[in-house]
Amino acid sequence: MAVDNIVYLIPALPVLAFVLTLAFGKKLPSGGGYIPILAIAISCIISILAFLQIHETGIPIEVSAHWFSVLNVGILIDPLASVMLLMVTFVSLLIHIYAIGYMAHDPAKPRYFAETALFTAAMLGVVLADNILQFFIAWELVGLCSYLLIGFWFRKPTAAAAGKKAFLTTRVGDVLFLAGIVILFFNMREHVLPHITGHETVYLLQFSTIFDNIHHIPSGQLTIITLLFFGGAVGKSGQFPLHVWLPDAMEGPTTVSALIHAATMVTAGVYLVARTFPMFIAAPDSLMVVAYVGGFTALFASTMGLVMNDIKRVLAFSTISQLGYMMLALGMGSVIGAAAVGFAMFHLINHAFFKACLFLCAGSVIHSTGTNDLREMGGLMSKMKITGITMLFASLALAGIGIPFLKIAGTPIGTSGFVSKDAIIVEGSYVFAHMTNDWIPFAFGILAALLTAIYTFRLWFMAFTGKPRQERHPHESPATMTGVLSVLAVFALVFGMLTFLPFLDFVGHTYDHEEIHHLAELGGNHVIDHYELHDVVHHASPIIFLLPVIVGVGGLLLAWVIYNRRWISVASIGNMRNPLFAILAKRYYQHEIFIELISLKFTYGVLALTSEFSDRKIVDGIIDGISSFIIGGAEVLKKIQTGVVQNYATATVLGVGLIALILSFRGVF
Amino acid sequence: MLPVSYYLIVAAIVFCIGVYGVMTLRSGIMIMMCVELMLNAANINLIAFASHFSQVNGHVFVLFSIALAAAEAAIGFAILMSIFRSKNNVNIDNINILRW
Repeated sequence: MAVDNIVYLIPALPVLAFVLTLAFGKKLPSGGGYIPILAIAISCIISILAFLQIHETGIPIEVSAHWFSVLNVGILIDPLASVMLLMVTFVSLLIHIYAIGYMAHDPAKPRYFAETALFTAAMLGVVLADNILQFFIAWELVGLCSYLLIGFWFRKPTAAAAGKKAFLTTRVGDVLFLAGIVILFFNMREHVLPHITGHETVYLLQFSTIFDNIHHIPSGQLTIITLLFFGGAVGKSGQFPLHVWLPDAMEGPTTVSALIHAATMVTAGVYLVARTFPMFIAAPDSLMVVAYVGGFTALFASTMGLVMNDIKRVLAFSTISQLGYMMLALGMGSVIGAAAVGFAMFHLINHAFFKACLFLCAGSVIHSTGTNDLREMGGLMSKMKITGITMLFASLALAGIGIPFLKIAGTPIGTSGFVSKDAIIVEGSYVFAHMTNDWIPFAFGILAALLTAIYTFRLWFMAFTGKPRQERHPHESPATMTGVLSVLAVFALVFGMLTFLPFLDFVGHTYDHEEIHHLAELGGNHVIDHYELHDVVHHASPIIFLLPVIVGVGGLLLAWVIYNRRWISVASIGNMRNPLFAILAKRYYQHEIFIELISLKFTYGVLALTSEFSDRKIVDGIIDGISSFIIGGAEVLKKIQTGVVQNYATATVLGVGLIALILSFRGVF
Repeated sequence: MLPVSYYLIVAAIVFCIGVYGVMTLRSGIMIMMCVELMLNAANINLIAFASHFSQVNGHVFVLFSIALAAAEAAIGFAILMSIFRSKNNVNIDNINILRW
């Protein structure tokens, strides 16, 4: 049981690394970058130990201490948290190693490594939290670090603006999340506290307390709470309509983008929904909102990914889209129960590997070509073999290419993206559609898969094949970078296949199935059991199984035809006269809607000017009126003060005389 | 023995002289003296009633009142002295720096 005593080191070591790097980084080689690497490596080892222990015993690790009143601080590592821990520490470690090479020429290395160490620590804090308040505190720290890192090159105005945008947009979600926590707290105090007897102290916001007492909370309240939580997740995980910050977050160093998009930050939102899944399933309609928002985001973001020319922006839209898949998978929980958490987390982990790989490959390309613009790249395959091949593997994973029907010991054969996305589309949304006759999430999923394949390979063909379109001579990146790329590419290819069933089984045990069924009844959701699910999947028509692969390969071929063979002229589709292209290239006029309409016209023009008017004229007017009335009155009254003592004496005598007169009339004398 | 009303009439006359003096005179010293007159008019009343009702309370009260008048006179004249030093007279019409 030694692991229980050292789990607190998992977030503590990166925090320590943050302090040390910030203080002494300037004097150390590589800006002190080896300190966070060492710290996160140890955290990773402890995470592995914790994972092994949980895997063996099946008992979650719980460490908790009294904080104040009805709140506690603590660490909870259940299967859900432990897989997240492994992913976060491992991917973060690889990205830190890569950054040693990538950031070699940057003068502000100590600040970079300090901030990424804190970023990792904050994310680990989110993962490990055993109560919702601690979760929120770490969640806010993640937001702060993302602001610092996106605006890392703060002398560049666009970077500073992007950092601000990320901070403010996620803030909208965070406020909703906080409101949800407050409402939850009052509900716990009102409806749950009276039912708890005999215990010494009860921690109201601890996850275990909340989950044990969901049935006491009125379901209407529960829907409000979970939707507010989901609002927080929408902000953090870049779901529609709070996704606008993610593409701009590309202003930071590429390693930061990789960190944000793969290991930390954006997965926090998905993790929040997975973490509070029992609440979501017990709340009527909440999961439906999650499913629709997720599905729509998956499709919506992938359409914009089609036309971006900045290599990192394409990847950013693909992240939004893949996060949409995860939300979609969670939303399917209203029918398939806790298995949805397994699917979503499985896709989250796989996505972390291939998206980290894609971003780091993009970083490698940018590092050597000195440009972000896909139109200026081309023919890089001959110059950068390792980067090209690893990126191809990661792209195959993102597009979800695999072999349908062929299963070895129940595990499908294909890239990790294929395994997890297939699971979401077939065992998630198809089953959902079959049971509820609601085919919209399924359609969203399939269409998004098609577009994903197209934009992914558009990117790859434009960058790595064809004629070189630039003067500079690109070169392969150093070994620290390509080594990391190779590791990630291998994971992107085989992780899904190797771990599919054990993973779902392990994560599926986070929540008790019986309990989930009971909770689902509270929320009016009909959850089918394991056998029923298999029954539906087995009787599905083959086309359902083929469809994800067909669209994946179809998208690949389409991209090949257009961007490699050029049988169809790119210029004939991709110009501003094509209204469809124009609307995509303008990103659905989001800038116009969000900045010019909402921010400038509505918030500034209507809200701000109205409040200014009421402040200046009404509030200030009342205050000014009172003061000028008093000043005017004093001007008149001060004339009494003549300075002649006799007048005062006369007034005194008259006054006393008057009082005597009044008293005598009242009969006192 | 004279009726008590005689004393009261004398006291009222003295009091009115005092009031009239305070309201009309210009010299600070004269005003102080008029104030003393009013005080003493009150003292006469107290003594008159004390002897009328054969009680000692009034006498005691007058002793306090005289002590008070002495203290008041001491402070009042001290103030007038310092005014005289800065203005060279004690005409209260000149003491009006606190007027508007």
